[in-house]
Amino acid sequence: MNNYTISGSPHVHGGESTKKIMYSVIIALMPAFLFSIYYFGFDAVRVTLISVAACVMVEWLIQKFLIKGQCTISDGSAIITGILLAFNLPSNIPAWMIIIGSIVAIGIGKMSFGGLGNNPFNPALVGRVFMLISFPKAMTTWPTPQPLFSNALTDAVTGPTLLGHIKEGLAQGISAQDLIIYENIKDFIYSGSLGEIGSIAIIIGGLFLIIRKVIDWQTPVTIIATVGIVATACWLIDPVQFVHPMVHIFGGGLMLGAFFMATDMATSPMTMKGKIIFSLGIGALTIIIRLWGAYPEGMSFAILIMNAFVPLINKVCKPTRFGNTVKQ
Amino acid sequence: MANWNNLTKGFFKENPVFVLLLGCCPTLATTTSAINGLSMGLATTFVLILSNMCISLLKNFIPNKVHIPCYIVVIASFVTVLQLLMQAYLPSIYETLGLFIPLIVVNCIVLGRAEAFASKNGIGASAIDGISMGLGYSMALTILGSIREILGSGSIFGWKFIEGDAILVFVLAPGAFIAMGYLIAIMNRLLKKSK
Amino acid sequence: MAAKKDTLINMFVALFVICIVSGGVLGVVYNATKDPIAAAEAAKKTKAIKNVLPEFYELKETTVKSAMEDVEIPFHLAYDADNNFIGAAVETFTNKGFSGNISLMVGILADGSIKNITVLQHAETPGLGSKMSEPEFKDQFNDKKAGSFNIKVKKDGGDVDAITAATISSRAFCDAVNRALLTFENNKGGF
Repeated sequence: MNNYTISGSPHVHGGESTKKIMYSVIIALMPAFLFSIYYFGFDAVRVTLISVAACVMVEWLIQKFLIKGQCTISDGSAIITGILLAFNLPSNIPAWMIIIGSIVAIGIGKMSFGGLGNNPFNPALVGRVFMLISFPKAMTTWPTPQPLFSNALTDAVTGPTLLGHIKEGLAQGISAQDLIIYENIKDFIYSGSLGEIGSIAIIIGGLFLIIRKVIDWQTPVTIIATVGIVATACWLIDPVQFVHPMVHIFGGGLMLGAFFMATDMATSPMTMKGKIIFSLGIGALTIIIRLWGAYPEGMSFAILIMNAFVPLINKVCKPTRFGNTVKQ
Repeated sequence: MANWNNLTKGFFKENPVFVLLLGCCPTLATTTSAINGLSMGLATTFVLILSNMCISLLKNFIPNKVHIPCYIVVIASFVTVLQLLMQAYLPSIYETLGLFIPLIVVNCIVLGRAEAFASKNGIGASAIDGISMGLGYSMALTILGSIREILGSGSIFGWKFIEGDAILVFVLAPGAFIAMGYLIAIMNRLLKKSK
Repeated sequence: MAAKKDTLINMFVALFVICIVSGGVLGVVYNATKDPIAAAEAAKKTKAIKNVLPEFYELKETTVKSAMEDVEIPFHLAYDADNNFIGAAVETFTNKGFSGNISLMVGILADGSIKNITVLQHAETPGLGSKMSEPEFKDQFNDKKAGSFNIKVKKDGGDVDAITAATISSRAFCDAVNRALLTFENNKGGF
């Protein structure tokens, strides 16, 4: 392997390393993890642990026996993939499905392309979409959360997510205003995947990463703003057919995707201009799928689709060479 | 010796699906189960052998400028014959393969072999080439179909060994691409080793 | 021997001869397979009808205007040896499926109860909506009558157990069954 990167001078070392970045992301994911433990109890820990362990294990096995290269699991990227995959799953999902999802996320999504940095698609989302198509039943029946310290319900209850409930209701011709009356939705306002329910906790983690300059603020803000603007416009035009924009902004996996998945360095464009185009695309696709598509949630599909456009975006928005002045 | 080479090349060295990457459309679309893959493979083999022989016989009669339309007419006739026969005597298989039987006409492997082999070789060698390529194609489709059936429906040749659903994506289009990608990777690795 | 020269007459003759021969061969094969194909298709339809109706002596084909919209629905009317009406196999449909149209063959007995249902065609999600062709779901309609059994999924206040996580497909299935039953009821006297 070539140990030297050849590029035009001057060179400055930023004091950053892959390891440092990855562990910052893991810390940033902790508030959301604690939130999910509060809502789903032991199951949240179970899903996350299995997912992380399986991801790290798969990466190690592939490195050791197929690629026969340097061991890379200590860089922490497999741990992040594991956590993000777990955050995309319902808390009652069987262990063998999580393991298959992890094999797909790391094996197909990352190692097939040559490991960290070479993968065109976000590995955790590859795993999640694979699971969504493969196990549609297990991936769309969400357990109703039973917060710690509350009176435990005797039976585990399952229900749709808030967005799923709204989509189905609208299809039946119920008006959007009636659908979001608190009394009707209080049972599943917090149902969903581990990382879907705690938008506030995700935002805290995201802000931490922005302050540490691990991620830029433009990507998440553009995505959320695009979704918000389209949702608001539709809602203003026809409040019977379209639900209140706040539901779209705080419901579903928008926050998780905007802060932790669209900002993945390997799978997003290099320049700021490219990132803005990328984020606009994600926001637009997400809201289009949510409002007019077959699935109630479109975040993961939107990010994967835009991941595929990254090489093209990079080609259009080339980074300017150091010292070059813009020709007038 | 040449005939032996002609007979074996379709299975491994020049496998139409895994090495030549010809005829991907029916390969991906019809391999939802082992039996579907096998029947599609055999249907294509039938057309391939007959069209190879026919074109090898006609090669001196056909002027160069119109050879493609002539080949297509020959191939399309055999496909239509096959389609009518299947419809009459194998209606259940015809129903599953449906649209993909007439599409054998535009399957690259059939026209490809006519161009690359039958138009330059005698009838015997062309027939052997047709058998080899056809069976190699059938083998590839059966392997792909088996893998997709095992992973996607938990059964093999219709025999179910696990209850309920398996990894559904493998009976759908994305699973076809994933399974085929990995089979090609494995095949490349094996071919590299054997060199 | 090399290929023939590219003269106009050579090209014309080659294409002409190949087309004539192909045409001839196809004509022969078509004639030979015409009857078996017709027999195979008829057998397929009869099998679907036999599947949803009890033993019958003869069938009469007719079409009836749907009770819900201006569309003709094929009815296969079954009679016994004494020309008594046994029931009808109704080729009903719905366009409310999760993806595309669904067509069902619903066997309705003379008293208006459902004998059996087969799914003729659907494009629902494998593993979810596709479960509609499995006995666990579709057999709950058997022996049910429109008056005593409310053909709506439980979520909508009916008596039908929906397929888990596939309410839309279940709802579409009910819609198709209702279309068959209503159309049958509207034309009951005429059979």
